[in-house]
Amino acid sequence: MATTATPNARRRISPGISTPSGDTTLTGLQRLPSHTRYPLTPSRLITAATPSAQRSASRFTPRARGVGAPATPYGLHARQQRAANTPGRDRRRSGRMQRETTFDILRNLGRALASTSKVIKSSPQEKPEPVEEPKDEFEELDNEPEMERPRLSLPIQESEEEDEDASPEMRPPRMSLALGEEDMDITYRSVEYPRDTSIRDRDRLSMMSRATGRISEDFGETRYDSDDADETGVIGEEGGEDTMMSGADFDRGGETEDLGRFHFDLNFPSPAAAPLEDPIDDNVNDFDDFQLSAADVQPLETVEAPSDDDDAGGGFDFGLDLAPPASPSESPGIVGGGLRDENVPTETKEKKISRHGIPVPNLPAGVVKKLATRFAHSKGGSKTKINKAALAAIEQASAWYFEQASQDLAAYSKHAGRKTIDESDVTALLRRQRHINSSTTVFSLAQKHLPKELQQDMRLAMPP
Amino acid sequence: MAQKLYPRGTVKRIVKAHSNRNVSKNADILIFLDYMLFMQELMREASIKSRKSGEKNISANTVRKVTEP
Repeated sequence: MATTATPNARRRISPGISTPSGDTTLTGLQRLPSHTRYPLTPSRLITAATPSAQRSASRFTPRARGVGAPATPYGLHARQQRAANTPGRDRRRSGRMQRETTFDILRNLGRALASTSKVIKSSPQEKPEPVEEPKDEFEELDNEPEMERPRLSLPIQESEEEDEDASPEMRPPRMSLALGEEDMDITYRSVEYPRDTSIRDRDRLSMMSRATGRISEDFGETRYDSDDADETGVIGEEGGEDTMMSGADFDRGGETEDLGRFHFDLNFPSPAAAPLEDPIDDNVNDFDDFQLSAADVQPLETVEAPSDDDDAGGGFDFGLDLAPPASPSESPGIVGGGLRDENVPTETKEKKISRHGIPVPNLPAGVVKKLATRFAHSKGGSKTKINKAALAAIEQASAWYFEQASQDLAAYSKHAGRKTIDESDVTALLRRQRHINSSTTVFSLAQKHLPKELQQDMRLAMPP
Repeated sequence: MAQKLYPRGTVKRIVKAHSNRNVSKNADILIFLDYMLFMQELMREASIKSRKSGEKNISANTVRKVTEP
């Protein structure tokens, strides 16, 4: 093939410009697809206008000879002028022609590349080889994708197989989950699910009642226990509560506090005031209508009537009977819900241990009361009385104030790199609280509020 | 004021407990001054709130409402 011819031909082209060598090159070039295409282009024909140009052109392309003469008038004129100017240029033109026309430049490039790069020469030689190689590669690729496909297919198959194989394995845990709580699955979105939660919540509620210590806990616990243990007398109440709770659970996301309140709202009125039961049971349970009819006649018997029907109702009746007197008085306060929340922080605050574990003394109530009445008087105009509850609230507020203020002061002193809270820290705090500004100073405030002794001490501490 | 305005040691101890830092000798005066200003503002707000709600005296609820963030 041309593998051996082309490199030699190009080498001959670049150094020797003689025509016979061109013939040899032509043979080589014809076989090269890339080079044979160039002479066919019309611009190539332009270069081959004059016979002298034909020589130069003939060296490279075979067809350039036959086409030779035609070309455009511009090319003809140019070459004729050059020929006229310098007779001996033909030889030189071969070198210059390449410079002048773009295709000659390309040929120079080709020569330069051909001379320097044997690799390119080898490339046509190797072209069959790479063709063979890609075939091999394709075959390999064909083999590879087959290998890859099994890889891809294998995990899928494996996964499928695993699923198939594991499905019995995987299902048992699912089944176990399901079996553990079949009722959960079946009643997951149905009515029975909340029953379980409600029962669980009742345990929590009993805890809540114990924790809060609010509501006649003993009765409540006994009542809850009775409800959980024996569904007899309380069935009617449970059914109503459960269905009611089902909505509450899903709506409120099962927050214990809300559930607790919700339960309390439901439970306590139920034994206590029969009329409250009636709407619930009427709405929910059709079965209890008979009992409710009795309840409508005599509200107090509603609690007792189911218990009488029940086997173990007698023991629980006491709890149920005892509950009513306590609950109605407390139920409104519980329903309000404000007192419970308020008592807890006060109790925690009364412990009075700071976050650093240091016991915090209380500011004497007399001082707080004096200040409160003083400022209340000044603003209220007439005498405004402050009762004990309000005073407790004010003390609470003052405790919060001292906690916050001292933390701020600690932050200021820490920022200043001191270990003691200084007067400057307090002035910074006052300035941040907008008590001190351009018009009011610490001294004016002190003069307004503080007795003279304290003012003197303060001025001693703050010379400026 | 013949009577002491406030027990200085108590205020110092309160601030010291909450901040876990020492309090300089006379800084408690300024702290208590700030507390007085706080009380003044608190009672002002509470009286305004109680007057808006039609109450004659400042009740615990009004104070709580004022102190709530």
